[in-house]
Amino acid sequence: MGLRLGLRDETTDGAVVRAVLGGDVERYAELVRRYRDRYARYAARMLGSADAAEDAVQDAFIRAYDQLAQCREPDNFAGWFFLILRNRCFAERRREARMGGGSGEIEARPIPAAEQPDGMMDAKERLHALQQALLDLTPEQREVFVLKHVEGLSYDEIAVRIGGSVPSLKMRMHRAYDRLRERLKDRM
Amino acid sequence: MKAYDPLVKRLLDGELTLAELPPELQAEGSEALRLLGAVDRRAVVLPVTLEARVMDAVRTRGRAASPARRALRWFTDPWELRLSVRPWALGAALAAGAALVLVLGGPGAMVSLQGKGPAATASALPESLLVRFVLYAPGAKEVGLAGTFNQWNQSATPLLRAGNDGIWTVTLTLPAGQHQYGFVVDGRRWVTDPAAPAVDDGFGRRNSVIAVGGAVRGERGRVL
Repeated sequence: MGLRLGLRDETTDGAVVRAVLGGDVERYAELVRRYRDRYARYAARMLGSADAAEDAVQDAFIRAYDQLAQCREPDNFAGWFFLILRNRCFAERRREARMGGGSGEIEARPIPAAEQPDGMMDAKERLHALQQALLDLTPEQREVFVLKHVEGLSYDEIAVRIGGSVPSLKMRMHRAYDRLRERLKDRM
Repeated sequence: MKAYDPLVKRLLDGELTLAELPPELQAEGSEALRLLGAVDRRAVVLPVTLEARVMDAVRTRGRAASPARRALRWFTDPWELRLSVRPWALGAALAAGAALVLVLGGPGAMVSLQGKGPAATASALPESLLVRFVLYAPGAKEVGLAGTFNQWNQSATPLLRAGNDGIWTVTLTLPAGQHQYGFVVDGRRWVTDPAAPAVDDGFGRRNSVIAVGGAVRGERGRVL
C-alpha cells in the first residue's frame, strides 16, 4: 500500500482550484494558507507598511476567488495570484500619488538628517531611510528593486514574473539606483 | 549628485565584485554596497485572522463561478446600465433611454440600481447632467469618490448610505465629456468600478471611466 494518504497540504494548487470551482468553497482556505505570507513581504515593501500589505493581500485573495474561473493554469495559481496582488499594489500606489501621499506611514518624507558627526547613519537609520527612499521611486522602479534585492530574483526570473525584457528591466533598475543615490546622498 | 558609474551598477546587479572595480571606483562601489546592505529582507508575517476574513468574504459570494455559469449569469442576472446624454444629441440619447427602460422591465427604471456591484448611472437635464454613482459596500464605514472632476480628492465627494443594505450613493452634476474616477472605501481602499469601461492611466494601469455624452452598457457588478 502506498503512502498517498490524501494529505491536503500535499494537494496541488490545480487540484484545489478545481475543487473550489466544483463547489467546495471551503478548500479555498488551503490556498490562502499557502500563499498568505509568501507575497506579504513583496506587498509590504511595495506599499511601505505591513498594514497596507495585509489589506492588499486580503483584497487580492478575494479578487482571485471572484476570478478563479479565469485562472487558465490552475497549477500555477501562485503566479496568477501574484499578478492580481501586483495590480492591487500598483493601484494603491497610484491612489497614494493622486492624493498627495496618503497616510503618513506610506508618505514619502524627507530623509532625516544623519546624527553622526561624520554624516553617516547607523544600520537601523539606513534601513529606514532606504525604505522611505524606495517610496520615492516610481512603482515600476520600486517593483524591480524589491523583486531583485528583497526577494532575490534574477532579472530573468523577474522578466518571467512580470513580463518585459531583461534589458528594459535593467534600465529601470539602473534608474532606480541613481534615484536612490540622489535621495540618500551623504547618508550611506 | 551624479549617477552611479555603469560599472558600479553592474556591481549592484551582482555582475561584478568590488575587487573587480578599478581603484578610482572603489569608494563609489563601497557606498553603493552600503545601500544594498540597508535593504530590509525580514519576513512579513500577516495575522492568522486574514484567512478567516477572506473566507468570510468568499462564503458571502457563494460558489466560484465556472465559465459556463458565468455565461449563464450574463443572460439571467440583472444588468447595470449606464446612460449618459450629449446635450447636443438629446433626442438620440432619449431613444437609447427608451431601450434601456425596455430592458429593465418598466418605466421608472431609467436610473436604476440592479445587481450587486458598484456602478454609475446618469440622467440628463437640458443644462446639466446628473450622474449618480453607486457602490455596494456593506462592510464600509465610509466611501468617497475621487476622480478627474474633483482633482482626485477622496474627501471632496463622500457617498451616503442608501438605507441599511450596503448601498452607497452620490449624485453629481458633471459636464459632458469623459471623466475618470474610483471609489475610496474607508479612506484607504481604492476600488475601481468593474461595471465601467476603463482606460490606461499612462503607467500601464487602468482607471474607471464614465463618458458623459454617450451610452455605455455596464457589466455585472462585484461584491466588495
